[in-house]
Amino acid sequence: MRTKFNGILTLLLAFMVQMTFAQERTISGTVSDETGPLPGVSVLIDGTTRGTETNFDGQYTISANVGEVLRFSFLGMTTVTRTVGTDAVINVTLANDANTLDEVVIVGYGSSTKKSFTGSVKTVNSEILEMKAVSNIAQALTGEVAGVTVINTSGQPGTVPTIRVRGFGSVNGNRDPLYVIDGIPFSGALNTINPQDIESTTVLKDATATAIYGARGANGVILINTKRGRSGTSTIEVDVKSGVNMSLLERHSRIKSPEEYMEIGWNGLYNQGVVTGATDPVEYANNNLFGGRGIDPKYNMWNVDGADLINPDTGLINSGVSRKYDPENWEDYGFQNSFRSELNLNLSGGTEKSNYFASIGYLDDQGAIINSNFDRISARLNVNSEVKPWLDAIFNMGYARTETNNNGQSNDSGSIFWFTDNIPPIFPLFERDENGDFIPEPIFGGNTYDYGVGRSFGALTNSIADAHYDRSRTDRNSIDGKVALNINFTEHFSFENSFGGQYYSSIYNNLNNPFYGSAAGTTGSIWKRHEEFTTYTLLNLLRYKNDWGNHSFEALAAHEATNWLRKRSDVFKTKIVDPNLDDLTNFIVVSSPPQGYTDEWSLESYFGQVNYDLSDKYFLSASLRTDGSSRFVNDKWGTFYSVGASWIVTEENFAKDSGFLNYLKVKGSYGTVGEQAGVGFYPGYYLYETTLLGDGYSTTEQVIGNADLTWETSTMFQTGVDFTLWNFLDGAIDYYIKDTDDLLFDRRVGPSVGYALVTVNDGALRNSGLEFDLNFKIINKQDYKFNFTVNGAFLTNELTKMPIDPATGEEKLIDIAGTFGRSKGHSLYDFYIREWAGVDPADGAAMWYQYYNDENGNGVLDSGEGIPSMAEFEDENPDTEVSKTTTKTYANATQKYVNKSAIPTVSGGFRLNAQIKKFDFSAQFIYSYGGYGFDGNYQDLMDNDQIGNNNWHTDMRNRWQQPGDITNIPRLDNGTSTNYVSASTRFLTKTDYLAFNNFRVGFTLGERDLPNSGIDNVNIWVSGDNLFLMSERDGFNPTQRESGASERYAYAPLTNFSLGLRVKF
Amino acid sequence: MKKIFKYILALLFLGGMGWSCTEDFLEVYPTEFLSAEQLEAASANNPDLLAGSLNGIYTLMFEAGTGGTDGHDDFGQKGYDIYGDMLCGDMALSVSTYGWYRTITQFQATTDFTFQDNYQIWRYYYRIVRSANLVIDASGGNDVVPELEENKHILGQAKALRAYAYFYLAQYFQEAYDPSEAILPIYTNPTDPNQPKSTAGEVYTLIEKDLTDAIGLLETFSRTQKNQVNKSVAQAFLAYTYAVTGEYGKAKDLTADIINNGGYTLMSAEEVLGGFTDINTPGWMWGHDVVLDNGLDLISWWGQMDVYTYSYAWAGDYKAIDADLFAAIPANDVRKKQFLNNPNSGRYLQPINKFYDLDRVIGGQRNIETDYVYMRVAEMYLLHAETAAKSGDEGSAKTVLKRLLDERMDDTSFVDGLSGQALLNEIYFQTRIELWGEGKSYLAMKRNKAVTKRGPNHYSNVGESISYDDDRMTFEIPQLEIQNNPFID
Repeated sequence: MRTKFNGILTLLLAFMVQMTFAQERTISGTVSDETGPLPGVSVLIDGTTRGTETNFDGQYTISANVGEVLRFSFLGMTTVTRTVGTDAVINVTLANDANTLDEVVIVGYGSSTKKSFTGSVKTVNSEILEMKAVSNIAQALTGEVAGVTVINTSGQPGTVPTIRVRGFGSVNGNRDPLYVIDGIPFSGALNTINPQDIESTTVLKDATATAIYGARGANGVILINTKRGRSGTSTIEVDVKSGVNMSLLERHSRIKSPEEYMEIGWNGLYNQGVVTGATDPVEYANNNLFGGRGIDPKYNMWNVDGADLINPDTGLINSGVSRKYDPENWEDYGFQNSFRSELNLNLSGGTEKSNYFASIGYLDDQGAIINSNFDRISARLNVNSEVKPWLDAIFNMGYARTETNNNGQSNDSGSIFWFTDNIPPIFPLFERDENGDFIPEPIFGGNTYDYGVGRSFGALTNSIADAHYDRSRTDRNSIDGKVALNINFTEHFSFENSFGGQYYSSIYNNLNNPFYGSAAGTTGSIWKRHEEFTTYTLLNLLRYKNDWGNHSFEALAAHEATNWLRKRSDVFKTKIVDPNLDDLTNFIVVSSPPQGYTDEWSLESYFGQVNYDLSDKYFLSASLRTDGSSRFVNDKWGTFYSVGASWIVTEENFAKDSGFLNYLKVKGSYGTVGEQAGVGFYPGYYLYETTLLGDGYSTTEQVIGNADLTWETSTMFQTGVDFTLWNFLDGAIDYYIKDTDDLLFDRRVGPSVGYALVTVNDGALRNSGLEFDLNFKIINKQDYKFNFTVNGAFLTNELTKMPIDPATGEEKLIDIAGTFGRSKGHSLYDFYIREWAGVDPADGAAMWYQYYNDENGNGVLDSGEGIPSMAEFEDENPDTEVSKTTTKTYANATQKYVNKSAIPTVSGGFRLNAQIKKFDFSAQFIYSYGGYGFDGNYQDLMDNDQIGNNNWHTDMRNRWQQPGDITNIPRLDNGTSTNYVSASTRFLTKTDYLAFNNFRVGFTLGERDLPNSGIDNVNIWVSGDNLFLMSERDGFNPTQRESGASERYAYAPLTNFSLGLRVKF
Repeated sequence: MKKIFKYILALLFLGGMGWSCTEDFLEVYPTEFLSAEQLEAASANNPDLLAGSLNGIYTLMFEAGTGGTDGHDDFGQKGYDIYGDMLCGDMALSVSTYGWYRTITQFQATTDFTFQDNYQIWRYYYRIVRSANLVIDASGGNDVVPELEENKHILGQAKALRAYAYFYLAQYFQEAYDPSEAILPIYTNPTDPNQPKSTAGEVYTLIEKDLTDAIGLLETFSRTQKNQVNKSVAQAFLAYTYAVTGEYGKAKDLTADIINNGGYTLMSAEEVLGGFTDINTPGWMWGHDVVLDNGLDLISWWGQMDVYTYSYAWAGDYKAIDADLFAAIPANDVRKKQFLNNPNSGRYLQPINKFYDLDRVIGGQRNIETDYVYMRVAEMYLLHAETAAKSGDEGSAKTVLKRLLDERMDDTSFVDGLSGQALLNEIYFQTRIELWGEGKSYLAMKRNKAVTKRGPNHYSNVGESISYDDDRMTFEIPQLEIQNNPFID
């Protein structure tokens, strides 16, 4: 590969040197804004792509003919045009303005303007990003970009959300976009980048925009650009935010009264007596209320025995029953109102040849549950210098030290959310003695917690006590950085070399105290995980850029190599000496063998791109990229390409004078992009774990490998328009079709072959959609502004081909993944489940629909006529009419597509912005309409549990209680009837929501308001995040999971209110 | 000069490409789980590694999660022993706080193919089958007879383990022995794709052939660890197989050979009250020496059964002997002492003197170091008695039964007076109490075509007569198999 490439390079070099053209006359000048000279301003000759950028002093030099128009544009500033006349010097001052068409956008391996770029790109700049009290940039993107879904999976401060660009790109492969920071692919922890250091974030969506990232472009690319200094100025900016975090979003409504809980449970026991044929169901219930089929008698908090607790005639607590104590409401002890404070200081400026940006930031973000927080100290230094006239050097470096405490959030009985949402209200947080009194705790102080010996919910644990006494903490030191040297051989021809990457070292300590809980038996325990992570990217790029006449041309050729490596080691020890220390020597028993291993992957790429522009009207772009991935064994290399074109219709004479159409661009692109992550590091190999058995080796098969596994390839077609109407509405509408072939698919097999699934390249998936992004400038005056922006995405997703089943040699008919059925013609998220048919009023039993093939036509279901799974039946018996009946046996009910999908019809966000003199106001909402999700939390709370096993939702009050009751909630019978809550349409809930995501009210004082103070600018604001969520059911939050489902251990996003102050000197 | 510098610099960087462009930049290898190629290369200088894949099968037998779930009842063979003991009713779930095994003891799982328990047991045994097939394949295939002794022993063990898996599958998934009924798919090569069901006759033929081969191959095998299958263990499985298929004479001879020539001694009266933690107990034929490195914790047999371990048996899921079965044990029988005989205690009839960590701290043992027993020689005495009686040799049946009972009670003369069904009933009864909690009662129930009746300390179905071939007594082929195997629906 190398030899061949070097050959191409030589050719290219020779070609480019030939193409140097004669010069025209030279114009120069300085571009500045209100604070001074402005570097990096794009200077373009109108109607061509000939152009340059201002240097560190805001100076530029360009060759132009008299009569040509120079266009000066810069991100966030109004574009200014000047016609070339007799003056050799043209100086320009730019004013602040957002949303201009000619703003420079950073795209893959270069920059372009919004106007000339042929693909789909959306930039979110720092003003928007800074409105939100977030710890990382991905959170700030919520609702900002059409077709970008931000899934905030946890309210734990510091959590980096999951992001999806344009639907679901793969079945089992990776669906995450690629992050690129200052040109270097980023795979560290995104929460180590202080959002305050970020100038702008650009989302690339279509093939033209992402194909240049070939290997990793299939799921979109998010480019993050950090701030730079400006020559000739020096600024100090101090920024303070202080606020409160709280858990304000609704949780599911639960039974709060212990008495009511016992009444419902007693009713379940009574029914159990009836169903199992007890001679006297009342006696049965009375006798079992406290006992082997009920609650451990030690949790009887009343002054009477089980037999005397409930009045069998009313089903209510007997009069005269009184409590020995009041059990605590666990929420009162598990949740807290907490603080969030943030302090940022940055210094920036520059001299003639160099500029710098330096910042330091501190964030303390506390969680809504006890002992959870995220703490960060970060620093960044960006230096750019013209070392020699032919050599520019860039040095960027960021450092962060983070500390994350995430107690009480494990996906098991250690979860505080599981406890607070599900524990029956009869169980106290603190242990009680015989008289119901607290027991003083001798070691830590306070009362002794109840660790639940005999408690039939979360036995032997107390997640709140654990969160106080134990430690679950990650300390991380991370560095990201880049060194780049650009050599300018000639005015048009340059060589860019950069080396950058990320490094972190982190230590996770899971310390369990020696006195209570799971490690009491081993006198304390520790699990210590050390991670060391390195990734680097080396880029060598040749660029040629030139303009002549109406033509403008740019070409680049490059080689890039990326390596990702993570080393992990784990140590487990027990028997602690000093209960406060988490160092290993402080534990004296090795309880299980220490572990350690390395995970690694590499990518190597060769790529090139050409951009051509004719008369600033017609734009063409093409790219080609070849990638090799270490993940694949036999077939490592994949080649991807794209072509894109756009046409500025309003530059044509016939469209120029139209009164309403100020701007119209039509664009189209076609290309292929690849994806190879998400299948683990070594999916090509059969993998074996080796452990000790006796004194010898023992090897067990862990992963079924597939050496032929290779690239998943997406072919993407897009067309769209960007427009401005009546100078009132800016908009963009895109339509795309993305076909993904050779899907990385975890194909399930019948487990009798000895394994459950194998990853293959098979099947095809189509995502298509329409995206819109509209900005209505309703009032646009100097001191009064009001605008409304709205974006949204319509998405359809469909499997167009299923993988081959080797047992039959044919396409697999259906692959059932949980509640979703995957088959040809259906989306990845079409529910394939049993249909809930309600409750039989006669006996309160749950019913489901059973479909059958009434072969003998007798109108009833006979043995052998039932259909277990509709997809197979319809395949074998096309056009057969089926009949439907109800069944009380869940297993007999038919699994089928129920015409409901987790994919919403449309989702997006909208924002209101207003400015009245020195006040500004902004409110952002996000919405979704038309999907369904599985409300798993509700499912937990509606189960027919044995009394004491779980709490119930208040809907349980409406359960069936006597013959004739018409209700949708079946009888409780203490667990005798099963499957009430097994997957069925009963728990499919609309995922429609409207959420108030962010607001901000600010007040700004400029230099003129503060004469002679030395202060340039003061900004004061109040902001709020995650203010409310309106959804189908209180507590059901469809925004936390990709499939819209709710889950047992979920940590709801925090609500934050902050007060901020920024002073600029 | 300037120009020269910039070209030199550019060349230097281009040279830097060589850094990443080397041939092996895209070649990375795993370090946590290793590939077959890595293991093979390592084996060249470390022949001990070769035995690793056979040992791996033994590891699957006790590791957590081998049934493909994260359930706290998913820990290999001993987990499915509890399933069997619960189904046949000899083990009662006397207190059920957390719900483990509730779906088994209430027969919910065994009548509903959507329950995960069905998947778990199916997945486990078929995983053993695949692992055995891999070793057999690596040894040269199903029909090869290796020349080296060492390789014979590897192949012999693998075949015996494959038979072991199919034997349990046939027990747990067929209601009553019927050679013509299609019951299970058979796989004898690791590359076989999903197969349709074969008949019980074909399954038992495979089991018999594998075990017969194994017995021959293991003739000269002297094992180094008790977790390994030796000739006696292979013989024992073959005897169990014949006892199912009705070839009682062959079973009788095989068990006699183990009793007389295997070199195992029955557990003594003291040992049955304190010898269930140590692999070195001479009465154990097959078991696993649990060490800290095995990483067993709450998710283990001890974590379910022993009050003196950090366990469900301690915290609120009590497993007790069926009260009626306990009542039938004579007062002078030492085995009556294995259970807590205090009706006023919540722990009434828990096996606190049979299976217990010797430290006897309630909820104490945190990381498991007490051993697993898979097979005892006492089983061979009882199986011999049973198959001898069924093949008409009542004399031998009584003699061997008495040899066992002499270790359990003072006066065993009552055995002499038994014959016919009464003798068979006595042997079955003795099997149930001798092997209580060891996963053998379910097999005995099926061999003896018993009708079970649960005592008052059961969670459900108390007093109901349930026949061994009741639909509720066997597992269902799991939903995931039916959904994904095109030949089974």
